Amino acid sequence: MDGKNIKLRLGKSYGFQWLIYVLAFACLLPLLAILFYIVKAGITKINWHFLVNIPKPVGESGGGIANALVGSIIIILVASIIAIPIGIMAGVYLSENRRSRLAYWCRLSTDILQGVPSIVVGIVAYFWLVRPWSIPLGIFHWHITNKGGFSAVSGSFALAIMMLPIIVRSTEETLKLLPDTLKEAALALGMPFHRVIFKVIVPVGISGILSGVMLSVARITGETAPLLFTAFGNPYLSVNIGKPMQSLPLLIFNYATSPYTDWLNLAWGASLILLFWVLFLNIFTKVITRKWKVQL
Amino acid sequence: MESTIIKSRNFNASFGTNHVVKNVNIDIPRNHIIAVMGPSGCGKTTYLRCINRMHELIPGATSNGEMKLNEEDVYQMHPIFVRLKIGMVFQRPNPFPNLSIYDNVIAGYKLNGIKLPKAQRDEIVERSLTKVAMWKEVKDSLQKKGSFLSGGQQQRLCIARTVAMEPEVILFDEPTSALDPISTSTVEELFHELKTNYTLIIVTHNMQQAARVSDKTAFFFLGELVEYDETKTMFTNPKDNRTQNYITGRFS
Amino acid sequence: MAQIETELQLLKTEAINMWSLVNSQLSKARQSFVTFDKDLAREVVLKEKRVNGSELKIDRDCENIFALFCPVAIDLRFLLAVLKINSNLERIGDIAEGVAKYIIDAESPFSEELLKVSRILPMYEESVNMLTDTQDAFEKEDTILARSVFKKDDFLDNVNKSSHKVLEEYIKAHPEETSQALWILSTIRKLERVGDQAKNIAEEIIFYLEAKVLKHKGKFA
Repeated sequence: MDGKNIKLRLGKSYGFQWLIYVLAFACLLPLLAILFYIVKAGITKINWHFLVNIPKPVGESGGGIANALVGSIIIILVASIIAIPIGIMAGVYLSENRRSRLAYWCRLSTDILQGVPSIVVGIVAYFWLVRPWSIPLGIFHWHITNKGGFSAVSGSFALAIMMLPIIVRSTEETLKLLPDTLKEAALALGMPFHRVIFKVIVPVGISGILSGVMLSVARITGETAPLLFTAFGNPYLSVNIGKPMQSLPLLIFNYATSPYTDWLNLAWGASLILLFWVLFLNIFTKVITRKWKVQL
Repeated sequence: MESTIIKSRNFNASFGTNHVVKNVNIDIPRNHIIAVMGPSGCGKTTYLRCINRMHELIPGATSNGEMKLNEEDVYQMHPIFVRLKIGMVFQRPNPFPNLSIYDNVIAGYKLNGIKLPKAQRDEIVERSLTKVAMWKEVKDSLQKKGSFLSGGQQQRLCIARTVAMEPEVILFDEPTSALDPISTSTVEELFHELKTNYTLIIVTHNMQQAARVSDKTAFFFLGELVEYDETKTMFTNPKDNRTQNYITGRFS
Repeated sequence: MAQIETELQLLKTEAINMWSLVNSQLSKARQSFVTFDKDLAREVVLKEKRVNGSELKIDRDCENIFALFCPVAIDLRFLLAVLKINSNLERIGDIAEGVAKYIIDAESPFSEELLKVSRILPMYEESVNMLTDTQDAFEKEDTILARSVFKKDDFLDNVNKSSHKVLEEYIKAHPEETSQALWILSTIRKLERVGDQAKNIAEEIIFYLEAKVLKHKGKFA
């Protein structure tokens, strides 16, 4: 080993280290750029009027995104109500049955579902819930009928399908990580199995399950494609889930490409709101997870 | 009056085709401490888990033969009732990590949905913690979480939790193998006090512990019950050669 | 208290009880010697069974403690000491029985002069004291007291050494008391062995308390 060789190697090592720092920072850049740009464009548009008014027709100034805000909240709420119970139950089932055939197919379906493009989910929801259909039942002209039409509930349905794989997987993984001794302790106290699951296992794993739920909500908050042909959008404030409803991503989609500055401003403001909402959900999840994490 | 509380006749247990417990016949007298010892894989833990029907929870696990608690066949009773009468303490202390010490002790009632008036709950908690010599240590921090205690204290908390259900028999599956020597001797001292109200069956791979602690000892080897006798006799003059070889360390 | 401590405590009590028993045997034998009380002597012979029974029980208890508790350090030394002290005490008991048997078989009491010349009574007194001292040393865990027993043994050895000559002369002077003199000689030999046993016991006590082995080291350690 002579001096020159060592210098070269040290130099390489130093250079490589420096390269890693630069690339890591480079990953941060897009996020910072987006945040900066949207904050800059949107921050001036937000005020109280913005939040409580619905969009005005073209030509009138003012207007806001109240209908989109309320709509987003309602659609996400309904989607959660559909997806969370099913997702947690399925996750519990999968964590308890590692090897049964049903578990195999269930896991496989969940994985495939996770990869389905969001627009395809939207189309499926369109065909099932938006187009009218009727199925004949028996010989007395009884039918199950779907009048069809765009509705918030069909949008929630599509979003729920997208939430499911995340909730199922994170529940299953959380519960799998819990030691068997916990279950044994509960069983040895004479607890019936359903109580063991719901009074012992789930409460101990609640932070992991909750983080899965919050992540899935954060994921669907910004989904636009499924809502395109389901919730469709609505220029007015509505709380009827059987009818079309506006939501933030839809509003941004529609107004960002319009030629009217008023509408463009609304789109910017809405983007900022949406961004903060998702950011807040992620941070909230992290805080809650840490706070509620049960020290095993 | 000495009476037999647990009786096994021709008891067998298997994991699928693996016949792990072979034809065990044993009478366990009330209010005694019985140690079950033997080398690894001899079937002692499996046999223990058959007593309170925890064995059948493993997929593919089967058993047959007679296992009687007070002349009632345990396999004819509902498993929940069996486990209320026969409690179990495990190798690794496993208090419920999300519950406080207080809630851990009455977990058997609370999590089973049995509602008790507060005075009765307090009384049960105090009585159980006193029985495991922990009341004075923790009575001012009952609302703290159970996982902040030391290993020995956690194990005693688990024993308190089991004792709170007032079982007749308490099964111990290598209860001190995860503890340090001082915690081990604290737990061993507990056994003598618990003996007055309960029957204890302790599986241990530590034969010195079996010698120190028990009234009678059962020696299992390759799934069979080789010898079952007074501990004093077992350790001074065992009848079977296999027992003697095991105790003297001729084979582990 | 740990289980082993309870067991050791019980064993200690048993050992002390045996000590008291043997002590009373030895003292009663001496009493019967002095007052020539054959009934008392018979009592001693009968009680010998209890001494033997006590020895067997202590042996068994030691065996059980070894097997069940695997004692180490001071507990181990204690048990080893108790085992040996046990057999020493049993032998002293045998000696007491032997003395009592002599009294039963003897035809007439010993004369004052014989007793005085042989110095058997002080010797006897001293041997009983030695036994009592070892008992106290054991009970109070007092090694100084145990060590003092060695000095007392000197006196017994002294009497024993000179007894041959002394009694030979006495027999020459009082041939009608030959039989008694021979009894006395025998008894002196026996008492010398009592002294040796007591010395052994003291050595064991010091071993148990200080882990010092004094056996076969001569007079001083």
